[in-house]
Amino acid sequence: MHPILTRRSRLLAYIGVWVAFGLLIALVLIYGGRAPTEWALKFAVPLAVLLGMQSLSFWYLVQSMPPGTPLPRMALSWLGAGLVALLLWLAAAYGWAVWLLEPGDPYREAAAGTMPLLVFAGAIGILLAVLGHYLAGAFQRSRAAERRALELQVLAREAELKSLRAQLDPHFLFNSLNSVAALIGQDATAARQMCFLMAQFFRKSLTLAREQAIPLAEEISLVETFLAIERVRFGERLRSRFEVAEEVREVCVPPLVLQPLVENAVHHGVAHLVEGGEVCVIARRINGLLEIVVENPCDPDRPPSRGTGMGIANVRSRIETLCGNRASVDVEAREDFFRVSILLPAAGTAETSETHERAAHA
Amino acid sequence: MRVLIVDDEMLARSILSEHLGKLDDIEVVGQAANGFEAVKLAEELNPDLMFLDIQMPKLSGFEVLELLGERAPAVIFTTAYDEYALRAFEVHAVDYLLKPVEPPRLAAAVERACERVRAKAPLPPAQALAQAARPPGRTLERILIRHEGRVHVLPVDRIDFIEAQDDYLSFSAGGKRLRKQQTMSEIETQLDPTRFVRIHRSFILNVERLARIDLYGKDSWLAILSDGTKLPMSRTGHARLKELIG
Repeated sequence: MHPILTRRSRLLAYIGVWVAFGLLIALVLIYGGRAPTEWALKFAVPLAVLLGMQSLSFWYLVQSMPPGTPLPRMALSWLGAGLVALLLWLAAAYGWAVWLLEPGDPYREAAAGTMPLLVFAGAIGILLAVLGHYLAGAFQRSRAAERRALELQVLAREAELKSLRAQLDPHFLFNSLNSVAALIGQDATAARQMCFLMAQFFRKSLTLAREQAIPLAEEISLVETFLAIERVRFGERLRSRFEVAEEVREVCVPPLVLQPLVENAVHHGVAHLVEGGEVCVIARRINGLLEIVVENPCDPDRPPSRGTGMGIANVRSRIETLCGNRASVDVEAREDFFRVSILLPAAGTAETSETHERAAHA
Repeated sequence: MRVLIVDDEMLARSILSEHLGKLDDIEVVGQAANGFEAVKLAEELNPDLMFLDIQMPKLSGFEVLELLGERAPAVIFTTAYDEYALRAFEVHAVDYLLKPVEPPRLAAAVERACERVRAKAPLPPAQALAQAARPPGRTLERILIRHEGRVHVLPVDRIDFIEAQDDYLSFSAGGKRLRKQQTMSEIETQLDPTRFVRIHRSFILNVERLARIDLYGKDSWLAILSDGTKLPMSRTGHARLKELIG
């Protein structure tokens, strides 16, 4: 819908501008062309408003040719559109003049002389209308961009909050405290070690959550701390394996994308197995993308877990907000096996961008 | 008092037994690390009191209680954090402890349990507890069946249909049949009403298994399942099914 037609007040203001333009033409006709006042007003004002209405159609042309369209194409299109509009308008002006000037009107002969003036006025009017439309278009685009930026910001904040809340999983917190309480009586050194691990984990997740992007190695280290804490609780039942390619360790990733997945793997996978199982984390480069995979076995008879998918949905929405459609999250849930794989653009390496710069300087 | 401790975490069991060891007249006779073990030990050792964790592999605390039925001893639930379970305990006035457990709180709970054992106060039914502890909008997802001393866990989406036989329900799943003592109306309220429909006084159908409906006589229909099984359908059953599948 045309922005001027969406609101009554805008339409009235727009018509007002063209009425003023019509009055201007009338003045020129009266003083420059010696036209009778009444005739000049009757003739020029409706014609100017007509030009305004005609110019509304330029909006669609502006939309189809945003700034940045190749200049020749733009110039040609506008020249064509302007000429067509002008000719149509002049034809209307001729018709209107003939209609207004009855045969025998003393001004009838002189009226033909106003033609050059009308051509000039029409051209100016059309030019102004096109410029106005481009201005309006630019204004609307910048407003939309602002709104989108704001939306993105809100989404990112929300995701950060959610991930923080997930970090403070009460199950994890209270069970870990219970382990510490138990260890104090049996093995004071192990109890102390557990306190250090928990402090490390909470400190790391708090600092990482504030960052925009972190090297994958840091996220891996957070996950290792998490697994070390859980291993105190689950003992031999919880095993883990990391296959992280050396070349991807410094690739930048959004913080806290891997940890929630590993947490899921432990709480909804291994925790339900009497004999436990192995959580496997794989990170490698594939076709210029970073692939992160978390795999775990699970119990085929497990009850539908509460909140599974919450962690994954959160990671997915965050990755989509940050990386758009260049990233993806795939979930493969089989009877006795669960796998989540994330694909991220791997270009954001601090190291590689530096090497590029160095290469450019050389 | 003879006590059984059930928790899947070794450290959680050990701190509980450490604290219990300091109380008078308490003897820890066994420890179980998962639901299956808990059911087995509870029946073998016949304890007076059981400390029961809720989230465990294989069977939850509620499911252990359901399987033990009337043979269940007095129970004190233990949990780290489970908002729905806590509400269920409060509603049914069951004793529970939050981990890490403080010794005075533990002593008080044991004291109360002793009184209850002496007074022979019955436990609230496990089904009702589990129902109350289920998050809102969540329906029964698996069925526990004891058959010849073994526990079968049957996820509800594997059920084809359920048939009432005297005091029993017969669950058909992939050609196999498992029997459980339960009433039709009880199971009907626990199952997801968008997946399971009572098509007849004696039959509940998993809607996903329905292949077609045949008219059989005046006001009676047959539900034909995808494996060819034919089930009778009453007028109200037919209406219910129609309403669901449109």
